[in-house]
Amino acid sequence: MNATLNQLAGIVGQAGVSTTPESLAAYASDSSFATPMKPAAVVKVQSAEQVEALVKWANQTQTPLVPVSSGAPHYKGDTVAEMPGSVIVDLSGMKKILNINRQQRMAVVEPGVTYGELQAALAKEGMCLSMPLAPRATKSVAASVLDLEPRLNALHQWNYTEPLRCTEVTWGDGNRMFTGEAGAGPRDLEKQWAAQKWQVSPTGPNMLDFYRLLTASQGTMGIVTWVSLRCELLPQVERTYLVPAAKLEDVNEFAYKTLRVRFSDGLFVMNGAALASLMGGNAEEVKTLKAELPTYVAVVNVVGRELLPEERVQAQEQDIAEIAQACGLQLLPSVPGLRAEQVRAKAFEPSQVPFWKETAKGAFQDIFFTTTLNRTPEFIEAVQKQAIAAGYPVEDIGVYIQPINMGVGCHCEFTLPYNAACAKESARAKKLFVDISETISSMGAYFSRPHGIWARLQLNKDAQSTIALKKVKGIFDPNGILNPGKLSV
Amino acid sequence: MALQDFRPMQERCSNCLNCRWVPFDKLKSERFGENCPSIAYNNFMTYSARGRFQLGQTILDGDADYTETITELVHDCMACGSCDVTCKVCRYNLEPLEHNIELKVDAVEKGKTLPAQAGIMAALKQEQTMIPGSKKAQRLDWAKGIQVKDLFKDKAEVAFYPGCKYSYDPKLQKVAQAALKLLIDAGADVGIMGNADACCGGRALQMGFRAEFTERAEANIKAFNTAGVKVIVTPCSDCYHALKRQYAKLGLAIEVLHTVEYLERLIEEGKLTFTKSVNMTVTYHDPCHLGRLGEPFVPWDGTEKKIMNQVHTWSPKRPRYNGAYGIYDAPRNVLAAIPGLRLVEMDRIREYAWCCGAGGGCSQTLPEYSAWTASERITEANTTGAEAMVTACPWCEANFMGAVDEHGKSIQVFDIIELVQQAL
Amino acid sequence: MALTAEIYQAFEDVVGQRNISQDKGVLESYRCITSQSSAHYGPFDHKTPLPQAVIMPGSTEEVQKIIKLCNKYKIQFKASTTFWSAMGFIGSENAIQLDMRRMKGIEIDEKNMIAVVEPYAIGAVVQVEAMKVGLNCNIPGVGCSSSVVASTAGWVGFGPTSISMGVAGENMLGAEWVLPDGEVLRTGSLGAGAGWFNGEGPGPSTRSVLRGFQGTTGTMGVCTKVAIRLHPWPGPTCIPTRGQTPAYKASLPDNFKCYTLCYPSWEAWAKGAAMLHEAEIVYLGHRQFNMFGRDIKAAMLRILNDPNGQLADLEPLLQDPELKKQNELMKMDIQVVLAGMTARDIAYKEKVLDRILELCGGWKSEMMLEKDMQDYVLLYLLRLGHKNLNYTLCGSYEGNYGLSSNVFVATAVIEEASELKDKWAKTHTTIADTGGDSDMGSLSIIGGGGAMGWEFFVNFDAYDKASIQGTNDFIDETQKWMTSKGLGVDMGRWNQDIRRKDGLNFTQEEHDAMYVNAAQPLVFAYQWKVREAVNPNHLGGSYYRTLTPSKIGLA
Repeated sequence: MNATLNQLAGIVGQAGVSTTPESLAAYASDSSFATPMKPAAVVKVQSAEQVEALVKWANQTQTPLVPVSSGAPHYKGDTVAEMPGSVIVDLSGMKKILNINRQQRMAVVEPGVTYGELQAALAKEGMCLSMPLAPRATKSVAASVLDLEPRLNALHQWNYTEPLRCTEVTWGDGNRMFTGEAGAGPRDLEKQWAAQKWQVSPTGPNMLDFYRLLTASQGTMGIVTWVSLRCELLPQVERTYLVPAAKLEDVNEFAYKTLRVRFSDGLFVMNGAALASLMGGNAEEVKTLKAELPTYVAVVNVVGRELLPEERVQAQEQDIAEIAQACGLQLLPSVPGLRAEQVRAKAFEPSQVPFWKETAKGAFQDIFFTTTLNRTPEFIEAVQKQAIAAGYPVEDIGVYIQPINMGVGCHCEFTLPYNAACAKESARAKKLFVDISETISSMGAYFSRPHGIWARLQLNKDAQSTIALKKVKGIFDPNGILNPGKLSV
Repeated sequence: MALQDFRPMQERCSNCLNCRWVPFDKLKSERFGENCPSIAYNNFMTYSARGRFQLGQTILDGDADYTETITELVHDCMACGSCDVTCKVCRYNLEPLEHNIELKVDAVEKGKTLPAQAGIMAALKQEQTMIPGSKKAQRLDWAKGIQVKDLFKDKAEVAFYPGCKYSYDPKLQKVAQAALKLLIDAGADVGIMGNADACCGGRALQMGFRAEFTERAEANIKAFNTAGVKVIVTPCSDCYHALKRQYAKLGLAIEVLHTVEYLERLIEEGKLTFTKSVNMTVTYHDPCHLGRLGEPFVPWDGTEKKIMNQVHTWSPKRPRYNGAYGIYDAPRNVLAAIPGLRLVEMDRIREYAWCCGAGGGCSQTLPEYSAWTASERITEANTTGAEAMVTACPWCEANFMGAVDEHGKSIQVFDIIELVQQAL
Repeated sequence: MALTAEIYQAFEDVVGQRNISQDKGVLESYRCITSQSSAHYGPFDHKTPLPQAVIMPGSTEEVQKIIKLCNKYKIQFKASTTFWSAMGFIGSENAIQLDMRRMKGIEIDEKNMIAVVEPYAIGAVVQVEAMKVGLNCNIPGVGCSSSVVASTAGWVGFGPTSISMGVAGENMLGAEWVLPDGEVLRTGSLGAGAGWFNGEGPGPSTRSVLRGFQGTTGTMGVCTKVAIRLHPWPGPTCIPTRGQTPAYKASLPDNFKCYTLCYPSWEAWAKGAAMLHEAEIVYLGHRQFNMFGRDIKAAMLRILNDPNGQLADLEPLLQDPELKKQNELMKMDIQVVLAGMTARDIAYKEKVLDRILELCGGWKSEMMLEKDMQDYVLLYLLRLGHKNLNYTLCGSYEGNYGLSSNVFVATAVIEEASELKDKWAKTHTTIADTGGDSDMGSLSIIGGGGAMGWEFFVNFDAYDKASIQGTNDFIDETQKWMTSKGLGVDMGRWNQDIRRKDGLNFTQEEHDAMYVNAAQPLVFAYQWKVREAVNPNHLGGSYYRTLTPSKIGLA
């Protein structure tokens, strides 16, 4: 073991290697139901060169590596090792914002950079990055985009992978390269910038879409040491509205119609429980809000950026109001107990600590997948039925529906809050989580980001995809040293 | 022209393959988007105008022969000219239809013909008709009982020229009779060609028998000139094209009108008025040889010229036949004048109409393929909800009669003259 | 070598007698004559190899059986549909050509804005069917006569509407793919039986194997169905048209506007383009008619917009002083279409456009504001129907100074590129002499803007051997100039490393020698490994670029 630690120290320096019980315990489990596994060591890397050396070492020594970019707490089980003797590769210390280019609306960041840090830096240049729904404060932007966390504004998603563009990656075999447009030039960002190349196009660089092997891969293919991101102009005018509805079908129709004409700059649907969790400062407030809020609410954001911002917002808010009316709904600045501006302030910013999903009951378990908007009611019905059968309070289940990829699909998310201190409640939540996952999987829920048990559920349905994935994994991580056990490949 | 004269055109075709479709600006549906029956039926690219350009190069280069497949392929073109229209949406120096026919001519000259063509050409030679089994002696039987001048006995301004199909087909003779009566009743000074009445030969040209066509054309031109008429009126679109475009190249200087044009004139001049209502919804099928191929011949004497180094053109400007000025409005105007009649249009109309399936002699030489082509059109017609399909060519009518759509459903078929007659 | 009777019979048993041919005359028409389409590696006066048979499968199952037979008998294959450009044609004398024409299905999910299409569903038919339900699709620059599957799965696929709809790869959702070993892969949600809406995942996307920056040009099996994302169409269910052939014009309502924007300098042009990217007001943006050449575009537009117009009219039109003036005013131009989703929307977009012009010192071309001209251009750009417009001038063209790049980089040397071409045309008679700058291309080659794709059209006469050779020489000259400027590989040479000058595939040794010196050779080494894993019998040809890993010291 000492020899191992010495080798690691030789790569990242003595200070970069930790085996203290506290540090190992911090990575031994997370807030999900993933089976705990204590790693052998935690290594804090500072550069791509260190990562490359580390992966080469891991191949030589057959040591499993678990890459982690975000700070704690973790919720999806993907940072918990499944093999004994694993080494955690902690990239959270790589916090450099390597480049911000206003002309090209691009930024290049290391994996340790969080949303809060990046947005502050971008704002100085008159830009911002599209947001997922109130990510936790420690969330790595790179990890978030690589895991394809849904963005609030589907209309800026030219594909499911936006705003991710190019990357630098060390594959599981220890070879390092740039992906996308950046892969066509020298493996040196400075040289590329000097040649006016700004890592804009994510595809290729040639016949193979390398970056798509990294997305939703839970660190099983390669370790990413920077990502380039497409940014947006900072809004000059921004207004938010709420569209309450008793029936999900109505609010879905509103979402379809609004996105169809490319109106809004952020549109999502929540049920009262999810919205209450987002907005309530504590458990009591969540409870009160939940009682007051409508069954479903669509949150609609409209912005004006550089040119004629007020005109844009005015034109769109009137048109969107008419769409709402055509659906028998109303576009409102507030609903009882909540102003739309308050929702924007929470939804479009990193979460305060503790993470908003923990507010209701301390712990929670998410179940998320992709589908199309029209199918969401049937999934909700199934989940509610299952919860009732399990004796779980249906009214506590948060529902968050996020149109993605210009409205072609949607991210559908159920949040089951529970009290982790109560063993019975935990066990019930765990069982319900498994049961719901299995039920909705059989109904055609698509776990495109197959964390934990979803990988098995998903890949069991499709032998050819599994074979293809295994072939690809065999090429890029031939010794299976990257996060083994994840994704079942 | 001979096939080798088309070499520049063959090599200037750019493989865009637009020749498989109606002009894209006019596309209305996936179902009725294709324009060329030949490739639509046979599928291999070789059947398209582009494929034929490439085949032509191959034959000139000696890289392929007229096998049985290639011989049939060459003769499989309906000479409908649809590829020609689409090609010319953007090209100014290609003539796909002329090339398709030249390929046929080349095949015929090399003795590569279809089995059925021998009988047709024998009939043309022996009986001056392209309808085997028909006799020259019976050619004027359709006109029995109608008091009309024989232009070789009496003089008249107008020659009524019904063509082989109307003359011989017992189901269609009534149309020729009606047309002639209409002209007479409207006061036209009209006659028929008597013993000189004979096949125009147009379909021989469409089949690649250019020498036989030329022989017939020269004889007919002589007869028309001898008759001394000022106008030739024909209800047959194939004849119309032969006379108006092809005969003009060989020196015919007499005005040629299709019956629908003549009827339109009569209506405009108030000489033809309708008294009865025809309560029917119809759709109109543009015959290829009246529509896109119905443009008049314009004489030209010029040479090729390159400008700006590599821009190929002609000096002086060369006449261009792209279907823009075909006969589309006259039949529609006649239909519009009939009380109670409602016209609904198919997806493929005017210069981009789908062929009836009879073109290029295919109804006689490749009947299965021809019937499929007609069936496609009937499917299209039935999609409009029309009760009947109206057209202005006996070959189209004959090919549509008895044909059914993809669901086995037929449609009533009328010549425009029959509807006019009903409204009088 | 001809197929043995046994092998031919085996293929025939799959598709039936009507759908297979080895007649020489038929096979010859499945050879690409590379001077007659833009092959991006010539032009050359030769043909691609003769296929051993042409086979037309009618279903995924038939494709699968054919590919399994190809593996059994070690015969290369390439599937193509609309056969434009050399990439759709085989590169080996031991190969068969699949013509996918019989598979032409289209299914539209109006609600979720998805179309599922088979290979012979071309852009035009997908568009007309989509418009019936208020939707539209991205039609790449190749034009609406090309297969949507080919553009989406096989090549790059950017075009005039990519600014608002994204490039073909971005629009690709689920796909059904017969892999080179004959197994069927269904990507994303499709494989899970959850529908076509998501082509990513589960987890890492296997679609990465099927297309990268560009598609795999038929070298990685056969895509038999693909789902594409559709986009809003705020117009009638069928574009109403008027006018005589060929000068058809659109008669669309007032929420459609079509302008030719002109700028006083390339700096202003680039600034304007970047502002258009950011403002998100443009439905479609393309520098289109400059393709004929800077000196003659106004005259060409007059010809195209006149049913009686011909190329012979060029010379007299070029003498017209008013036309000369108009031409000069649109020297640095681009065509844009605005599509208002509502009356307020179009009013806002118009205001922003005017503001951009004001900020950049630009103007709208007066000539292009004439009603008929606007409507002609509007119809052309929306349908992109006249792919053969590319060939109008001389019959053939190849692109030079073609790149996909940052707009500021591309425009900085456009005048230099223009002078290079102008000088060549003046000193050689092999290419059309129409004013140097004949640049055409998309306002964006990526959804939402960020990079442009363009090329200068070098118009030549494929019947004139000297013109073919001279064009080839000129593209070489351009490449030298581009290399000296650090601008990379010219679009006219994009395919020079994947098909040999004799039309055949490169050998592995030849590819190794090329890619061992790539900026990041790993890219090609991984592609080698992927090919070995997915296409073990190498049945796809050398359009798939690979480097033997050992050449860079990899296992």
